[in-house]
Amino acid sequence: MSTRQDRDKLELLQGTLDMLILRTLLFGPAHGHAIAHAIERGSEDVLEIEHGSLYPALHRLVKQRFIAAKDGLSENNRKAKYYSLTALGRKHLTAENSKWERLAQAIARIMRPAGEESQS
Amino acid sequence: MKLWRRREESLDNEIRDYLDRETQWNIEAGMSPEEASYAAQRKLGSTSVVKENTRAAWGWTSLERFWQDLQYGFRMLIKNPGFTLVAVISLAIGIGANSAMFSLADGLILRPLPVPHPNEIVTAGYDTSVGGFGSISASYRDYLDFRNTSKSFDGLLAHTSYSFGFSKGPDSPAQLKMGMLVTGNFFRVLGVEPELGRGFSDEEDQVPGRDAVVVLGHDLWEKDFAADTTILGKHIRLSGIEFTVIGVAPERFTGLDNYFRPALFVPVTMWPKVLSDPKIKPLDARDYRQLTLRGRLKPGVSVGQTQAEFTGIAKALERAYPETNRNRVVKVRTEFQRRLERSPPDAQIATMLLVLAMAVLLVACANVAGLLLSRAPVRAREMALRLAIGAGRPRLIRQLLTESLLVAIAGGLLGLAIGYAGVGFLSHLQPPTDFPSQISVQLDQRALLFSLTISLLSAIFFGLAPAMQTTRTDVISGLRTAGAETPHRRRLLGRNALVAGQVALSLVLLMVSTFIYRGFRQTLGAGPGFRTDHLLMLSFDPTLLRYNENQTQQFYRQVVERAATVPGVKSAALASGVPMDGSNLGSMSILPEGFQIPKGQEIPSIFGSTVDEHYFDTMDLSVARGRGFRASDTASSPRVAVVNEQLAKHYWPEKDAIGRRFRLDSPDGPWVEIVGVAKTTKYLWIAESPMDFVYLPLAQHPQTQMTLLAQSSGDAAALAQPLRQMVRELDVNQPVFDVRTFDDFYQFRAVGQPNVVIRTVGMMGLMGLVLALVGLYGLVSYAATRRSREIGIRMAIGAARGTVLRMVLRQGVVLALIGIAIGLAASVGAKRLLNTIFTGDEVDFVTYLLVAPALLAVTALAVYIPARRASRIDPMRVLRYE
Repeated sequence: MSTRQDRDKLELLQGTLDMLILRTLLFGPAHGHAIAHAIERGSEDVLEIEHGSLYPALHRLVKQRFIAAKDGLSENNRKAKYYSLTALGRKHLTAENSKWERLAQAIARIMRPAGEESQS
Repeated sequence: MKLWRRREESLDNEIRDYLDRETQWNIEAGMSPEEASYAAQRKLGSTSVVKENTRAAWGWTSLERFWQDLQYGFRMLIKNPGFTLVAVISLAIGIGANSAMFSLADGLILRPLPVPHPNEIVTAGYDTSVGGFGSISASYRDYLDFRNTSKSFDGLLAHTSYSFGFSKGPDSPAQLKMGMLVTGNFFRVLGVEPELGRGFSDEEDQVPGRDAVVVLGHDLWEKDFAADTTILGKHIRLSGIEFTVIGVAPERFTGLDNYFRPALFVPVTMWPKVLSDPKIKPLDARDYRQLTLRGRLKPGVSVGQTQAEFTGIAKALERAYPETNRNRVVKVRTEFQRRLERSPPDAQIATMLLVLAMAVLLVACANVAGLLLSRAPVRAREMALRLAIGAGRPRLIRQLLTESLLVAIAGGLLGLAIGYAGVGFLSHLQPPTDFPSQISVQLDQRALLFSLTISLLSAIFFGLAPAMQTTRTDVISGLRTAGAETPHRRRLLGRNALVAGQVALSLVLLMVSTFIYRGFRQTLGAGPGFRTDHLLMLSFDPTLLRYNENQTQQFYRQVVERAATVPGVKSAALASGVPMDGSNLGSMSILPEGFQIPKGQEIPSIFGSTVDEHYFDTMDLSVARGRGFRASDTASSPRVAVVNEQLAKHYWPEKDAIGRRFRLDSPDGPWVEIVGVAKTTKYLWIAESPMDFVYLPLAQHPQTQMTLLAQSSGDAAALAQPLRQMVRELDVNQPVFDVRTFDDFYQFRAVGQPNVVIRTVGMMGLMGLVLALVGLYGLVSYAATRRSREIGIRMAIGAARGTVLRMVLRQGVVLALIGIAIGLAASVGAKRLLNTIFTGDEVDFVTYLLVAPALLAVTALAVYIPARRASRIDPMRVLRYE
């Protein structure tokens, strides 16, 4: 029983980064470096992600067919790998979005009484 | 691999690209280039970790995963040599037994005909079974009618085996060769392409006696002609007639009968020519049913449809030729059915041995499964760890099954070695005779494939349940405590059931072998009912030299007269068939006076033999009532017969059979009077049930192939030389074959062959027992180890050694008792089945009293050793270790 719960927690954490990547790619194809900075900027530097963890996540998303990778040329004519959202990824993002929102609300509801309890 | 490298390169580029951009970014933010580069690397984290994690995200292809599992499994097996050894040897025994028994069953029954698409070939003809041994045959006239009327076949052929006197030229001595008379379409319908030259054409079976052509069998070509490729067009002599060689059959075509490999093939139209008896008209007599009909079914035509068609044709033939075809039952059979019906004892023994071998394998699998189950707690920590770091349960099960697979394959390879030895042993079933009789028991491709299949199946069989069990681990408790958790009830229950089942199965195996052994001992002790010592046999067939009937009978008269005068010969007799040799016993149809044939049935066929007036004395075969044959029973005197007690009891249970009459051969055949009732003896093999038998006097029923039986006053083998010399004086060219003492022959048929069966069954019983003991021993020592803490505590608070010993013993002994109880019940059922194959007591109490306590004793020992060890535990050491 405990196994299942542990794994769900891990997946939740992974899923968050995945969701942020998908969200970033909603605005168009981008390469790894740009995605990393876009997420940092987007969260107004509250979320500091380790850029190294981005790559496993990107490759996993490619494998899941949520995003597609393509070699392209960047603005200054350099070869770079561009990631773009697939139709499947777009659908997944919408689903994840609403799931995340429900989760955030639930946590918010729980956290308030919990805070009161610890004070007493 | 290429994909792999491309992926690696692409990842390298991607990371370099990131670092470049980040450095650039930092420089633009005002850092020095060196500082900027460091900061970029810091931001990314360790390059190798990033790469490693990304690679993990790619995942593994199933092939890579399988390869990984194999390597890992191999390491695990190497690390646990004790487990590996016991598991592999257990399986090797089980698989080896199966390989050997399959080879036997294959040789006897299963192996398909050596022709393309063997499943399409069926056998058809009239039922000519004798005494429970199935036979389907037809006459040449019947064959032509069936062939011309039937629409079911892509060709219907006919063939019969025939012994030829073969010589390379007119001056070479004749040898006896078993060949085949076949119809012209033989090779074409079977789809067999001659290796050299050609097969017969349809033209070559049109005119009787015209086409003296022969296709040589591969063996004959190789042995007698040194594989001479210029053989085509050369001449050989068969039964005194010159034949032209037109072809050589391919090596893989071993004939249409798994018992005999034909040396050569001759058109059936040559039949009357090679037969020296002008009275027999093989191509014209509608009741001369010696041919086997085989046809290749047209696509989509079933055996059932063909059977219906043949029944219809047979009805028409019955109307047209009532005197020869009345009340005949026509049969269409697949090759497999035909073989099963032809010799039911063979089929039964093969089935029995195969089932027993399966039982041994089952015991072996149970053993390995037990071993794996007992390793489950040891591996619980490993499994928990792997589950915790994210391996899925299916993945772990796959991993464990791969380990099982490795064990099974290692066991299978070793098992083949055992099977090879077993096949060597089983080949002793070959009878010693001059004919190349071919029960070819060999470890061929089919046996290899079979062994591989059962290895794989057993891997799943013994591996799956333990794999499910092992991976059903609670991560938290699995990580916390290794090996010391309380035993799950269910887990132990499974193992207990396995061990009890093993004991039960091995008991059945031992019981069955003891039943058979004692049954045979009993029959052997009672004796076959005739003399087996001081007898020498010599067989003749003067027709090989084209003797006519008068010459043949003259020859036999001289042989038996002169043999009696050879020094050292007490008496000499002639018989058409000797007991225990099924191949030359004749079948006869008799209809006792006053009995009606049941409607739709034919006149019953029974085994019989044609013997001279000296036979009963020479064989010490007692004629219980009436008389044996006399010299006064001649061709012109009234026809007489001697029947056995079984037949007398069968037809005249209350009255004396002497003076009764029966019709011979057909409902309107000649009357024959019974003048004597002989003791019922064994006729085919030692363990047969009593059967009807009839003796006819040689003078009234002349035969061409006869065996001379000479009773010696001294050593029987010493008579061979003078008797051969005596025959040479009569005719220097006369082939003499199957010269052997009756004792040798009897030892082989009655003692040797059954001994092979007994030893095989006994061997499997012992194997099963050893495996069961290993299983029991393993279970008890495993349970004792797991309870060592409990035992330590008990002893620390004052339990006596004896108490602990009893406690551990009880568990094992209870299991053994349960197993024995189940085994005893199953043995009763097995005995009932055995009684259908072998004669013997209805219930064999001695065996029960012998085997069950013995098994209890050894199982108790297997339990006692680990129990004693457990009771010797030093409580201080165990508890400190905790």
